[in-house]
Amino acid sequence: MLDLLQAVMDGVLFGATYALIGIGFTLVFGVMHKINMAYAAASIGGAYGGLLILKVMAAPAWVVFLCAFAAGGVLGYAVYVTCFHFIPLSSPLATLMSTVGMLLLIDEIIVHVTAGMPQNYPALFDDVMWRAGEFSLRGDLLLVFGVSVLCMIGLLALLYRTKLGLATRAVSQQAVAAQLCGIRVGRVNAMTFVIAGLLGGIAGALIGASVGMLSPLLTTPLTVKGLIVTVIGGLGSIPGAIIAGLLVGGFENVLQLYRGVAERDLYVMLLLFVFLVFRPGGLFTPRGARD
Amino acid sequence: MKKLALAVALAFAAGGALAQEKTIKIAGFGAKSGVVRSFGINSEAAMLAAADVINKQGGVKLADGSKAKIAVEFYDDRCNAEEGISVIRRIAGTDAVVAIGPTCSNVAEPLFGILQKKVADSGDSGLQFPVFTDVAIKVGLARISEWAFRNVPNEMTMYSSVFYWLHQKHPGLKTVYGGVEDDFAHSRASWHVVMKDRAQANGFAVAGESKWLLNDTNFATQVREMKKANADIVAIAAHPFTTCGVLKEMQRQGVKPKILVGLTSSSSLETLQGCAKQAQGMIIPTSFAPVSKEGKYAAEQTAKFKGNADLHSMAAWENMFILKQVMESEKITGKDVQGDRRKIREGLAKLKVTKGLLGDTKRTDDREADKPYLFVQAKGNDWVVLHNPL
Repeated sequence: MLDLLQAVMDGVLFGATYALIGIGFTLVFGVMHKINMAYAAASIGGAYGGLLILKVMAAPAWVVFLCAFAAGGVLGYAVYVTCFHFIPLSSPLATLMSTVGMLLLIDEIIVHVTAGMPQNYPALFDDVMWRAGEFSLRGDLLLVFGVSVLCMIGLLALLYRTKLGLATRAVSQQAVAAQLCGIRVGRVNAMTFVIAGLLGGIAGALIGASVGMLSPLLTTPLTVKGLIVTVIGGLGSIPGAIIAGLLVGGFENVLQLYRGVAERDLYVMLLLFVFLVFRPGGLFTPRGARD
Repeated sequence: MKKLALAVALAFAAGGALAQEKTIKIAGFGAKSGVVRSFGINSEAAMLAAADVINKQGGVKLADGSKAKIAVEFYDDRCNAEEGISVIRRIAGTDAVVAIGPTCSNVAEPLFGILQKKVADSGDSGLQFPVFTDVAIKVGLARISEWAFRNVPNEMTMYSSVFYWLHQKHPGLKTVYGGVEDDFAHSRASWHVVMKDRAQANGFAVAGESKWLLNDTNFATQVREMKKANADIVAIAAHPFTTCGVLKEMQRQGVKPKILVGLTSSSSLETLQGCAKQAQGMIIPTSFAPVSKEGKYAAEQTAKFKGNADLHSMAAWENMFILKQVMESEKITGKDVQGDRRKIREGLAKLKVTKGLLGDTKRTDDREADKPYLFVQAKGNDWVVLHNPL
């Protein structure tokens, strides 16, 4: 029983990293109704960007995280410009394929710069372990969990308490009407990518810190997990992404415990199909949607 | 006017000499993109460095007594089986007389499968092209084709020696726990076929095993299983990324085995770059360490071409010199490409002993190498020699 509880808690806490990636996917989808396949790669790219500061000076982990945050924002904007701004949004396949291309490009740039070598990543609270007998919780994963919740609160506040949020919601519901009201749709879309990018930078840094290092190996599994989380949570739902992230993390770890690594991912995919068939809107289908 | 005429004459003479300069092309192939890119970079650097040294010494002596320079051309197979097969077909279409590669065992296995299996079999339309592998290390691959040769360490021998030595040196140690990256051909074979078997053969009981995948990021459950088993020795058959992930999780959960044994491919800079602190004390058998004069020289030359010297890249270095020796002893012509390929194959097949950077390497009947090896241990930011079993 303790094993099960431990596996669930380990998985749920690690699922916070999936949640952070899921939030970025869902934010872009919520506003533009487009999937940004390069999101996880850009997030990891942002985290690598944070490491650049260590080439210049010895810096504490939080400075590296801040740099990753900034680098994520820059990459988010770059992804918007290259994959969305100049590509007709009316063609859903065009932007999908351009972001897939961007995913591969970012991946390969990382590989070429680092020669594919894993890079040690600074961590916060990695030596903190809360124990109760045999049961234990990782301090760094509790931090990731806390940051995910804060991101959700921050994003909801941004969306519902600011002019930018109002404009974003207007664009997500009816872009043409929003434009007629004087909202600059292109600017709102670009800001959405920058915000998602900033979030991605911090997500990448926290993932790097929780794994203990960065590797280009991270981008593909995080992209897959991010998409699963986005679908299960409900496309466009931020709370949904968080809950689905934790759910997938926990589910995965329990399966790892009972069925082993060979079957684990099989059941996660099965869970995705169950949702697609029986609840295609996910756990939380957003109320508003673009016409 | 006379000076000008002299200069023109000299220029023509030099041009004529250059035009007459013969070259023998050796192809290299391996992963130069993707997460194992460093392997390809290092192999290419070692091949270029070796070719540079050989060329400065005059090059390769051909059948007619003339000398030819060695030209190296390196191809990227992305550690992908289909790309690897496509690359070897492309190389076979050039005037390269032999190829050194590939990096990954999952490429080598199907690639050797498209080579002609038996040389004398006229009914076999497989590719007749000699491949001399430097990196792909999975046990027993060269027996797939008589055109396949390898200069990679024999993991069976090395891990047998490691566990024998551990048993002798630490008689109190009784149990081994395995950790394996289960979706990577080499790691999987190294644990299931080699380490596990060799540990048991040397008197250790296997207390259990944990599995994970190459892309995994969370090792909490696997390390908990490891902790419960409380084995004396933990043997990790995984590449640097997940080796480091597991070592970090072991540190978090306070798993401190008395001895840590690693995969031979992990005795590289990558592991120390990812988790030097957690890898301290890890013991790995390897077929290269810069301990001899020749080894240090090879490492220095490879560094000039921006490569690191490790057991894999130094095998590529050794292969270049072995091939020079074979090309000269078999008297290749430099004119008949297919004839020269056949001669090189015959020459490689005849070899019983080759010179290596750690000493002589015995060649086996199934075209594999029995290379000398050392045990290295992670100390600080380096792999230091712990023991020489030979």
